[in-house]
This record gives sequence, C-alpha cells and structure tokens, in this order.
Amino acid sequence: MTELVRSYGRPLTAIFIGLTTLWILGMILVPQLFMAERSFWVEEKPNDISLKIDRAYADLSTMKFDLARAEGPGKDEIAGRIEAKKREIAGLEEQEKQPRKVYTMRNYTRMSALHFQIFLRTIFYAAMVTVLALVVCYPVAYAIAQVATPRRAAFLMLGLIIPYAINELLRVYAWLMILDYQGVLNTMLDWIGVTDLATQQWIPFLQSPGAVFVAMVYAYILFMVFPIYNTLETLDKNQVEAARDLGASTWRIHWRVVIPYAKPGMAVGCIMTFMLSAGSYSVPQIMTRGTSGDWFSQTIYRQFFESNNWNNGAAYAFTLLIVCTLFIFLMMLVFRVGVRDIAR
Amino acid sequence: MTAAADAGTVAVERAPARRWSNQVLNLYLVLFFVYLFAPLLVMSAAAFNSYSYPSVTQWQGFTLKWFVELTRDERLLQGLWNSILIGFGVIAVALPLGLSGAFILTRLQSRWSGILYGVLVSPILTPGIILGIATLIFWRNIGVAGGLFLAMMAQATFIASYSMLMFMARLQRQDRALEEAALDLGASNFMVFRRITIPFLAPTIFTAGVIAFLQSIENYNTTVFAIGGNWTLVTEIGSRFRFGLSPVINVIGVIFVALTVVFAVIYVALKERERRARAALVG
Repeated sequence: MTELVRSYGRPLTAIFIGLTTLWILGMILVPQLFMAERSFWVEEKPNDISLKIDRAYADLSTMKFDLARAEGPGKDEIAGRIEAKKREIAGLEEQEKQPRKVYTMRNYTRMSALHFQIFLRTIFYAAMVTVLALVVCYPVAYAIAQVATPRRAAFLMLGLIIPYAINELLRVYAWLMILDYQGVLNTMLDWIGVTDLATQQWIPFLQSPGAVFVAMVYAYILFMVFPIYNTLETLDKNQVEAARDLGASTWRIHWRVVIPYAKPGMAVGCIMTFMLSAGSYSVPQIMTRGTSGDWFSQTIYRQFFESNNWNNGAAYAFTLLIVCTLFIFLMMLVFRVGVRDIAR
Repeated sequence: MTAAADAGTVAVERAPARRWSNQVLNLYLVLFFVYLFAPLLVMSAAAFNSYSYPSVTQWQGFTLKWFVELTRDERLLQGLWNSILIGFGVIAVALPLGLSGAFILTRLQSRWSGILYGVLVSPILTPGIILGIATLIFWRNIGVAGGLFLAMMAQATFIASYSMLMFMARLQRQDRALEEAALDLGASNFMVFRRITIPFLAPTIFTAGVIAFLQSIENYNTTVFAIGGNWTLVTEIGSRFRFGLSPVINVIGVIFVALTVVFAVIYVALKERERRARAALVG
C-alpha cells in the first residue's frame, strides 16, 4: 500500500482503489452473491388463498341479496357485515399479490430427472471435449513452438489466429452446413453409396449429441493450443537437445522434459476448454436449432426466459458455477500448479 | 571401440528416425490446418450460391445477390449499430477498471495480493452465461431490465480482466528507475503518472482497446442473457438459426473471414518485423 501511494500519490491511489472496489463488488462478487441468494428461495403462495377469496365473494353476494330484502334495524347490521367482508377480501387479495418468500433448498433438490440427466450429459461431454482437445493440441503446440523455424512458426501462428478470431457462431455454423441432412458429409456418403439423398435416405447427424460434440471440439480447440504454445515457446531448445544427446527416446523426452514444462499451459488450456464447453449456449443452440434435446445452458435459458422461473434458473446457474470452480481446483491438483500460473 | 565413436554411430542411426518423426509431425500439422480451414471454406462458398437455403452441395449458380440482401436487412444493420455502441461502452468501462487493477496488483506487496489477483481474473474463468445471469439478477433489484446497458456491463466484467492482464504484462517490463529519478528531481506523483506511466502504457492501452472492442462485438454467450428484448449483430445471427436461416448469414461469415485475415496478417507481420528487429539488435 505504501508502495502504491509512493508511486502514484494519494489522489490517484484512491481512484485506483475506488474503481477496483467497484469492479469487484458491483460487477463480480455482489451480482454472483445475488444470484446465489436467489437460488435459495421460492415465492410461495398460500395454497388455499384463492379458494378463500372465492368463498368470501360468494358470501358477499349472499349478504348483498339479504341486504336488499332486509328491513329495519337488521339492515344496518348486514351493511356492517358487508363492510367487514370487503375489508377481509382486500386483505386476502393483497396477500395473494405478495407471495411469501420462503428460504429453501427446493430449487436444487427438485431438479427433475430429465434436467439432471441433461446436466450430467453436458458435464460428461465437456470433459470429453477437454481430453480430446488436449491430446490433439499438444503435438501442434509442440511443433510450432519447438520444431518450426521462426519464420515458419510465424506463418503457422497466422493459421491459428485466423480461425481463432472468427466468430464462434460462424465457426459452429460451418459444421452445421457439413452435418446437415443434405450437407457436405451426407453428400459425400451419397457418392460412395452409403446414403441416398434423392429418396431422403440420409443420416440425421444433427439429431445426435455427437454433432454438438464435434462442433464444440472445433469451436474451442484453439483455446487449448495457445496456452500450451505460450509455455512451450519459452522452453529452451537446448534442454530437448541435451536429453536427445544423452540418448533419451522421443517418448521419454516428452514425458520427462517437455510435458512437465508445459503443465501450467495445459492446466490453463483444460480449464478454458472445459469452462467454455460446459457453459456454451451457442454451440447446442445452433447445432440442435432448438429441435432435439437440450444442453444444460439451454435448460438454464428456458428457466429464465420461457418458464419465467428465475429462482430455479439461478440454482442451475450456480450449480454450473460450482462445477467449473471445482474443475479449476481439480486441474491445479492434477497439474500441480498454483493460482498465479493460471490465466497469466 | 571408443566412447566417441559409439556416440557417433548412435547419432547416425538415430538421424533417419528423427527425420521420419518430423515427417509425421508435418503431416499431422497439415491435417490439423485442413481441419481448421475446410469448414470455413464450406461456409464461405455457400454465400455465393444462388440457392436460397445455405448449401454448397445443391449448387445453383454463382450469385452476389445475398450481399445486396444484407444491405437491406434492417434488423442486422440495427444489430451491428447496437454492437458498436456496446463495444465503445465496454472500452469506456473496462479499460479504466483494468488499468486500476493492474496498477494495484503490480505495486501491492501484501499477502492479500494473491487473493485479489484470483478475484480479478475469475471472470475470465467463469462461464459467460453466468456473468450474464448474475448481471441480470443484480440489476433487476435496482429496477434495470435487460438491454444494451446490461449487455455492456456484463461484457465489461470479464473484458476488464483481459485488459488488466495485458496492462500487468506491460507494467512488469517498466523501468522503475525513470519514475524514481523524476520523483527525486521534484516531479509530483501526478506529473510522473501523466508524463511517464501513461506514455509508457499508451501502446498497450491502444491494443487493449481494440481487443476489448473486438471481444465485445464477438460475444454471444454473455450477451444473449443480458440483452433482454434488444439485440446485437451476433445475437441476431444466433436467432436466425432457428427462424429464417439464409445465405445472408454466410455473407456475414465471408466478411468476417476477410476482415480477420487482413487484421491477422497485419498483426503477424508487425510481430515478425519486431522479432527480426530484435534479432538484428542482438546479432
């Protein structure tokens, strides 16, 4: 703190602290706390309240009927009872409008079997995407960072940056066109006689979760390449040379020298890929086009904007957040890296 | 036989094996890049097919009519305008936040700095839909509904973290002696900040601004939850997949691909020049 004030002076330091506090509280922590809080309550309308209101209205009309017929002192008494009934109805109606807020775990425990299955499937596929991306990307990152000449590496990086920078939706869209009923893949299968498009004998790739999986791998694979590349770029080539000169096999060089060095990058890549896949709304939305089975992000979206059940939606969102946080800790454990190594 | 000769034969034996493994690696790279680019080519090609459903297999002749159609598409153009507005808003919010965080983290010597760092980068590691949802719920309590403003706030939450990381990387390379000297010579803190720190950061501020803007325009997962009844270019594209899929979307794809190629080539060329300049300096 004294260091901060010494460098920038009190007024500027105060501004920096103020802005950072706003960011942390107003944009990161408090919104997420509000989301968590919202997931722990439901609005409860007393079950019998509308029945009570109906009955009160029925009583009221009977009284009014009586009032029309009554004469003498009884009339005032009935008029008094009518007023009392009206007040009672107003009170009941107020209660109906303002449902009671009840704190409960119900939003979590009441997750239907279908939604739970969707949740498990989403997490499973996200983990598969992560593993596949790691296996596919490691050789690519190694080749560009260690084997290629600097000029060639720059050229290859260009080849990575272009698809990486193109919008996620458009990248997924490209796979929609490939896997569509009369898409590229079905047409190719038609040429070799597996499918017959003229009679609509195509393979409905888009109806299987595999289509979402394929597009997800494509959409997020580059988030694995760049972190691994960034760490491997700083690995001294002499280390690999030395290991080779000392007679280590290619396999052993990777296992003992390159992979241990690449671990922070691998951890970051896995965290990013998993988080993006598990929380992806775009990929399932485009590939399924809202027709075949939901993914968890779509289920959450429906809770908010179709069922209008924000509390349930908040509970699902919070569940996803917890899974992603646990995954970060899992990766830190698996790759034995600290917080500082992540997201550098 | 001497040890040296021994090593020699081993090296001779291993050389072809190494060449062979390099060939495998090259082949692997070629396949990987085909995998990356082939789908984009398919998507781009369909923009020029006159068939009204996006397709490359049902080819009905070359046309540019979908480009014309895009210029008449009011919703997409309005969406683009909304995206640009949000993008500038994000720059205005995210850069000051990112700068403040970076200044504090590079100078704070405390056991809390680790935790602070963790909190400030956490938006990058949080699924985008959750940032959108949390923002939506938080602002609803104050009576603000989903729309352009909330989309901007939700995006700025994590884009500020990215800019912070960029500023931190730059600040860590700063030569503190210059600042110290200015202070010793009687400059005020504010003057040092304005005349030394800001000029030093200027290139990064520019890059971070451009990247923040691009990230904002591209964003879908966060925006779709916070945008309410309004729309951006990307959320409008997203909703077209369900209703009214047409090659106009492919035209947007072609434009995106073209712009990206141009910018990426410039970026890599600049980096390559910088690298060669540095190599020349060292060599």
